[in-house]
Amino acid sequence: MNTIQKKIFTLTSVIVVIMMGIWIALSLYIRQTHDQYNEILQRYLVLNEANEDSQTLITELNNYLYDPTPANMRKIEDSESAILSMESQIWELGHVENEFELVNYIHLMDSLMATVQRSISLADQEDSEAAFREFSEATRIANYISDTKTSLVETEIETYDVVYRGIIARSTEVNRFGIWLILLLTFTLMMFSYMLSRSITRPINQLTEAANTLSLGDFEKVVTVHSNDEFSFLAKTFNRMRLNINNLILEIQKQAELEKELQDNKILLHESQFRSLQSQINPHFLFNTLNTISKKAYLEGSQETSDMLVNVADLLRYNLKSLDRSVTLMEEVAILDRYMAIQKARYTERLIFLKDIDDTLLDSRIPALTLQPIIENAIIHSVETREEGGKVTFRIKNDRDFIRIEIEDDGPGIAQETSDRLLDGSYVSKEGHSTGIGFINVVKRMQLFYDSDDLIQIESKLGLGTVIRLFIPKQRGVSEHV
Amino acid sequence: MNKLLSLFALLTLSVLGYLTYVSAESIINTEWHEPLPLSRENQHYRLVLISQDSDTPFWNSVAKGAVERAEQEGVMLEVLNNYGKNDEVFLSNLELGIHSRVDGIIVQGLDEEAFKELTKVKAAFYSIPIITIGEDVPMEESLRRTYVGSDHFLAGKLIAQQLIADMGETGEVAILLDENTHYYQTLRMEGIESILKLYPDITLIKVPTDPSKDKVMATTQNLLNQYPDIEGFIAVNADAASGMIQEISRRKQIAPLYNYSFDDHADIDSLMQQGKLDAIVAQDPEKMGNWGVGLLIEWLEGETVPLDFDGYFTPVRIRESQDGL
Repeated sequence: MNTIQKKIFTLTSVIVVIMMGIWIALSLYIRQTHDQYNEILQRYLVLNEANEDSQTLITELNNYLYDPTPANMRKIEDSESAILSMESQIWELGHVENEFELVNYIHLMDSLMATVQRSISLADQEDSEAAFREFSEATRIANYISDTKTSLVETEIETYDVVYRGIIARSTEVNRFGIWLILLLTFTLMMFSYMLSRSITRPINQLTEAANTLSLGDFEKVVTVHSNDEFSFLAKTFNRMRLNINNLILEIQKQAELEKELQDNKILLHESQFRSLQSQINPHFLFNTLNTISKKAYLEGSQETSDMLVNVADLLRYNLKSLDRSVTLMEEVAILDRYMAIQKARYTERLIFLKDIDDTLLDSRIPALTLQPIIENAIIHSVETREEGGKVTFRIKNDRDFIRIEIEDDGPGIAQETSDRLLDGSYVSKEGHSTGIGFINVVKRMQLFYDSDDLIQIESKLGLGTVIRLFIPKQRGVSEHV
Repeated sequence: MNKLLSLFALLTLSVLGYLTYVSAESIINTEWHEPLPLSRENQHYRLVLISQDSDTPFWNSVAKGAVERAEQEGVMLEVLNNYGKNDEVFLSNLELGIHSRVDGIIVQGLDEEAFKELTKVKAAFYSIPIITIGEDVPMEESLRRTYVGSDHFLAGKLIAQQLIADMGETGEVAILLDENTHYYQTLRMEGIESILKLYPDITLIKVPTDPSKDKVMATTQNLLNQYPDIEGFIAVNADAASGMIQEISRRKQIAPLYNYSFDDHADIDSLMQQGKLDAIVAQDPEKMGNWGVGLLIEWLEGETVPLDFDGYFTPVRIRESQDGL
């Protein structure tokens, strides 16, 4: 993986290496040129120095001829050895172009020294006239040396003309090269810098765009970043985050949907039951008729029949009221008494009904028609089916936060499976009820009313009887477990 | 757009790269050829050709022949010369050559003491061989190895014969000489005289003169005053021909006169073309140069030792004017 740091570092190192390369090449070039210049200058200097040495020799000879002391003699010897050493240096300067003049130059210096020697020996022999003749010849030779030097220098200039022009042309060429190189480098570096900056900014832009898309709520679009550095990592992380958020949202949506469905179902159930109840009960006429019959029976002296009819009418009236109203426990118990009176009339001794009621608890409110269907069930199973009759016990007891209502019968009992199905509402009863309201309806209404599932218990032993317990919260909405 | 931009960038990059490459290549290829170094052991012969009158076609041809031969033989030849007649520069060139201890000297002979001194004493001191060219100096006086050039005695005879053939056997003939004696002029003179003395009706008038133009014209003027009937003019000294012709043409018709000279001066060619000279002696200067170098090398190599002291003569012939007057 290329990191951004690595990229920047590479670019900088490349620049540094290129600059160093140029610097080294330039230094080498300048040094080479310097060497060339030095070499050329050296040639002229050597040529000139030899000439000067020759002139010095003439001066020394002149001094010696006028003043022949060993000191002056030594000076002549010094000059001569200087000339000799120059000669070997001059040989080094030789090339094909200047061969003739160069050899002339050297031979002229030899001739000069020979002439000087002759002049000295003539002077030593006291032949001063001959010595001065040789001296004037030496002077002429020195002039020839001068002339030859001049023509040598001219030859040098001619010969090296090409070289000089080459050097000049080359430096011009180097200048031009420098300009092109600078242009090339500038352009290349600009391009690389652009590419580098783009490789950084482009992923940022892409990320920004992706972030924008995300913030607008589009979690479906895949984040794509063309990069091979940290940004690709960032993009991957970003993508993962996006997927996670997307999954979470989907989950929440699913849950919400489920919840909504549930709610809808409940409302539907409620409504349908209510409607079915409404449609079943159309008893106004019947109720009025019952009252009329009751009065007639009373007038005709049938006290008992009249009371029964009143009971039936009251029961009907109670039942006609809306099913979703709440009533006090007292009312519920009162209507239960009327119902039991009717049943008592029907079953006579076969039905034993026992009540054990804590009167202090009768102010609590419960859904209407809760107790009657349960009692009815108990009567159906324990009394109606059995010839010897049965016993139904009804209790209202205080049980801490709850009012415990127990309906006990001594019937054949119900199977555990059936009682479970009764509680979760999946049991379909075939028995006809006076109110048209079955046990399951009670269970569901309790659940809806108290918003709690476990307020009803069924305890049954096969052949011994069944106890149904309702737990009514003293405060509505409090649904803590017992 | 983006594609276009990168294409443009790539194009610019390649153009710049190419230009930089071309520039770099031209720097690397800027080479100069340093002259070849000198070998101290394997030295070529160093010869000098020393002459005066470097401005004349004659001496240019001599130098040309010599240089050609030197290149052919692979020896170094330096031509030292001076414009016009300048004995001082000429002699110092000779002295320079001698003190430079060249291997051989080819020199235009100069009939003068200083010249003889240099060749006899100095050159002999360094044992440098000297060959005279074009003009000779007697061997006894110069210790030259040999002479290469025209047989001036023969040239004199040829011109005299031409004169007789053109003019006839009677008449006055003026001969212009350099007032300083030159060996070659003396030889030419002798050649002419050797012929003309056979014709007693021909009067020979020798006129020595300074070779400068003014003097030549003055001399010619005097001559014409003194001898108005002169029919033939021979400029033994070719330098005098131009002045002589100019003066004559001021005074007389050139055409009926008989004018002769030699080819060793720059003006001769144009005078010939104008038909003012009837005939000249043509020499072969290129051959002189060529031969001179060859002989010197032969001597140095020891192939021909000694060289013929009498000299090696190059051919001479009469060249008549184009219009034949």
